[in-house]
Parts: sequence; C-alpha cells; structure tokens
Amino acid sequence: MEFFLLLVSSGLVAGATYGLIAIGFALIYKSTGVVNFAQGELVMLTAYIGFSLSNSFGLSFLPLLLLTIPVSMAVGLLLERIFIRPMLGEPVFAIVMVTVGLAVILRGLTIIIWGSQPANFDAGIPVTVVRLGSVPFYPAQLILIAALAVVVLAAWLFLRFTRYGMAMRAVAINETAALLAGISVSRIHALAWVLSSGIAAVAGVLFAANFKLAPDLWFQGLKSFPAVILGGMDSIVGAALGGIVIGLIESLAQGYIGEGMREIAGFVVIVLVLMVRPYGLFGSRNIERV
Amino acid sequence: MRTGHMKLSPGQLIALSDSRVVWGWALAGGVALLLLPFAVSNYGLTLVVSAFVAVMGAVALNMLTGQTGLISLGQSGFLAVGAYANAILLSDYGLPVWLTLPAAGLATALVSLVVGVPSLRLKGLYLAITTLAFSFIINHAILYAEPLTHGPNGIFVKGATLFGLDLQRGMPLYYLALGLTLVTILAALNMTRTRIGRAWIAIRDHDIAARAMGIDLVRFKLLAFAVSSFFVGLAGALLSLQLRFINVDVFGLILSIEALAMIILGGLGSIAGAVLGAVFLSLLPEALRLFFGLVSDPNSTFYTNYVFEIRGIAYGVVIVAFLRFKPDGLIGMWRDIRKYWSNWPLAY
Repeated sequence: MEFFLLLVSSGLVAGATYGLIAIGFALIYKSTGVVNFAQGELVMLTAYIGFSLSNSFGLSFLPLLLLTIPVSMAVGLLLERIFIRPMLGEPVFAIVMVTVGLAVILRGLTIIIWGSQPANFDAGIPVTVVRLGSVPFYPAQLILIAALAVVVLAAWLFLRFTRYGMAMRAVAINETAALLAGISVSRIHALAWVLSSGIAAVAGVLFAANFKLAPDLWFQGLKSFPAVILGGMDSIVGAALGGIVIGLIESLAQGYIGEGMREIAGFVVIVLVLMVRPYGLFGSRNIERV
Repeated sequence: MRTGHMKLSPGQLIALSDSRVVWGWALAGGVALLLLPFAVSNYGLTLVVSAFVAVMGAVALNMLTGQTGLISLGQSGFLAVGAYANAILLSDYGLPVWLTLPAAGLATALVSLVVGVPSLRLKGLYLAITTLAFSFIINHAILYAEPLTHGPNGIFVKGATLFGLDLQRGMPLYYLALGLTLVTILAALNMTRTRIGRAWIAIRDHDIAARAMGIDLVRFKLLAFAVSSFFVGLAGALLSLQLRFINVDVFGLILSIEALAMIILGGLGSIAGAVLGAVFLSLLPEALRLFFGLVSDPNSTFYTNYVFEIRGIAYGVVIVAFLRFKPDGLIGMWRDIRKYWSNWPLAY
C-alpha cells in the first residue's frame, strides 16, 4: 500500500507536468488547427529563461514566475510572428512541419546559449518535506499540482467568460464564420501562441524546480503527446486529465511491470486508444463530407 | 519548347521517359557514378555512401508520405529494425550477406505492417504521432531485448563478405550501395507506373473519393507501409554495414526529422526531388564544416563543440525556409528554370 501510494504521488507529479504541457498543445490546436511540435522546446526555452532571470535577479519563487511568464509570452509572440504568421493560409501539414523545424532550431540554440550541462535550478522553493497522510511530498511537487489546477481553472474561465476567450472558441469552431463576424483570426492565433508560451513558462519553471534543468527537457513535450491524444487534442480539461492519467499509468507501469516502462507506457497506451477510438477519449469526432 | 510532342498510346503515357535527352543524361550519370571511386579519396567515398543511404531512405519515405500521404515520424524506428536485423543475422547467426540484406528489408516490412494497422483508422497528425510512438517503442524494445540485440552494448557488424570481397569498406561497399540505391530508385519509379502507384496517389489526393472508385484502402495503405519500409530496412542494413558498430543512440528522432526534411526540401511527392533533397541534405554537414573552416579562425572550437546543434539548426532552417519560400522544393525550382529557358525569350 505504501509502495502504491508512493507510485501514485510520483505519477501525479509527472502527470501534472504532462497536463500543463498538454494544455499548451491543446490551446494552439484548438484555435489554429496546428499541432505545435515545438511545445516541448518552448517549455525548455522558458525554463532556461526563468533560470537566467533567477540567476541575475535572485528572485523568490512567486516574483520569478510572475516575471518569467510575461517574458515567455513575448518570446512566444515573437516566434509566432517570425515563423507561423507568414504561413497563414498554407496547408496544415506545411505549418506543422514548420513547427517541427522550429523545434530543432530552438533545441540547438538553447544548447549553444546555455550549454549542454544540466544545471540545478533553485527557484526559491523551500525543500522541507511535507507529509500528506503517509505520503511525503516536496513543496515544489505540491506547487506543480496546484499550478495545474489553477491553469485549468483560469483557462476555463478565460474561454468561457472573456471576450477574447469567446472569440477563440468561435475561431476554433469555424474560422471563416468567425472572420465574417469581425473577429481578427490572425490576432487570435497570435493570442493562442502567447497564452501557450505563458503556460509553457509555468510548466518549464516548475519542472526544472522539481527535477533538473537540462537540454533534454524538450523531450517532455513528446512525452506529453499521449496526454494530448487521450484528452482529444482540443479539450483543455481533457488535456489536464489526460496528463494525470498518463502520469499515473507510467508510474504504476514502472513500479509493477518493469524497469523502463516509464519511458514508453504512455506511448503504448495511446497506440491502443487510437486503435479503438481514433479521435481520442474526449475529442470531438469529425464527420467528413465529400 | 518541345513541339510536335504527343502521346498516341497508353504505353507512351506510362513510359519512364520518352525523351532521348533524358535517357542520355541518365546513362552519362550512371557511367560517372561507376567511375567515381577511381576519382575521389576514401573520405569522399564514405560521404557518397552516406548520401546513398540517405537517398534510399528519402525515396522510400517519399513513397509513404509523398505519394500515399501517410505522414510518418517513425522512420528512425524502421531504420533501426533494418540495421539490427542485418547486424544480428550477419554477426550472431553468421548468415551470408546476400541473404541478410533482403531479410533485413523483409523484417522491417513485417514490423511496418504492425505499425500500419492503426493507420487504417488514423489520418494526418494522429498517424504522425502514432508512428512517432512506435519508433520510441521500437528503440525501447531493442534496448531491453538484451539476449537478442545486446541491449545498450550495441552490435559490431562483421562478416559481410561476398566472393572474397569485404563489403564494409572502400570500393565494394560503394558498389553495393550504388546497386541498392539504383534498385530502390528504379523500384520507386516503376511503382508509380503501375496500378498500385496510381492507387497511392488517389489515396493521397482524397481517400474517400479513392474508396468510392473501388480502391481497397486497407490493402493499398498497408502495401505502402510494407514497400516503403522494405527499402528503409535495406537502407538501415546498408547503414549498419557502413558504420560497423550500431547501438540505439544512432537511431534518434533527428533521423526521422532529417528524412522528412529531405523530401520537403526536394519537393513532396517527386522521386527526383527526394533524390535531390537527400543528396543536398546529407552533404550539408560537410558544407557547413567547410564553411565554418573558412569564416572562423582556425583555433575556434565553436563548430567542433556544437557540431550536432549547428547541424540540427541547419536542418530546421532548411525546413522552415523551403516551406515558406519554395514549397515545391528543389524540383520545383528546377522546373521553373527549365520552363524559363524553354520559353525564352517569351518568358516573363
């Protein structure tokens, strides 16, 4: 039982990271129809930006996060302007491949700028162990899980009640109709990238604070794909839940099936899920007309 | 401009080329390739063999992605299967190389059928992600199936001799690679002339319409996976012969991206484009090395320190720039040039 609870707790922590990254994926997919293969690299880049900010200003956790998020948003806007905006109107495949190219570029640049050695990222979070029941947690782990809840709630409120949120949903449903209704679709696309980079910053800083900061952090982006697929690509809540589920499955598979399962359990799950339900568990099914 | 040029029979429509000029150039190119080993150094020959492996991989991926429209991010996984099948059969079981090469292709084709099954229900990005997942699963399986694959220790590939020639170095390797590459290109070219190739293109353009015309999607999609992966497996086997030592790290995700970059760069769906793109991109690292040798001072270690990063960035820039400025790729540029000169001086 003790072992099981430990696995569940570590699964929750990993799952919260996946959830946060998956929400970033879902936001961009929802409003632009593009799977952003560079999301993991955005997370890595923003984590390193947070690292540099923390080193130069020596901030404590909350101010650091509040500073990293806007900086990351600006970076996201810049990337969207340079790489994605000129592709407006091109086939989706081309835009997706641009994000793949962007991913490789960001990966290389990050290593050239910050070096390939892993770094310890002290985000100013205390390291005293907190016990919930019999399960020990680090404060950073609890903050990560809480951050997922806050981001989901904020995203939901934003999409449900604000003017821009509604515009974003309108663009997601029908781009042409949204254009006709006077919504600036290109601005909504930019907004999706900005918000997604902000969420990537939360994920990046918290992941680095929990585990370590290394140039292989981008791989978390690929490892979050199962969560996005499970959530159905275009659902924020689905992405968060998918993340948690995948995190739990990976952790339990590692504990009970065998060494190394953590790396691939998620991928095995999505292959199985996609064979049964090709649109994910919570995704909306597209009916094709000829 | 070519005038008085009309096709009078179905045979002419599907001929590989009805232009004597094209055949002449192809023949000249073939002779040049046959004589190449006498003209370049050993290092140059190694580069050319790597380019051949890239050409095989790109042409094979082009069958799957360019012609059938099934996007695969799992090429590194297929390449790994081919390389490992060849290495295991050759080194551990001591089978002769003329048997292990086709066996490696067949093994890869069989594995690809397992990957192909989800493709029957998935489209576009979902399929891309599934193939990506499969390449991770394959790498993982190789890493943990230690009795068969030697796991993290990797395999030394040895014993590839034919008629007393060592096929793993120098000229014999070059001619083997040349032969396999020509076979791949000819197979791909001829595939497009058959019912199968036309069915693939129909599926790419509109799969529902293709089905309505009586094309069996299950059969042709799986066939695309199998045929394409057979040649990727051959490429992998060739790669294992050239490298002489393989482990899982050789087959990273970057290989899949490289392969996609090659066919995008060359022009999606075109076999000549795939060849051009593969040659261009596999010689790009060498060009980068020369470039950095020219511009930076000789004591700078910037390039040697970050060789993989610089290469990665170059791939990324190539992908982004071509998609944005030349979506038709190198082959599109070639067509534009040809049209300009054949219409000159009337071209605008």
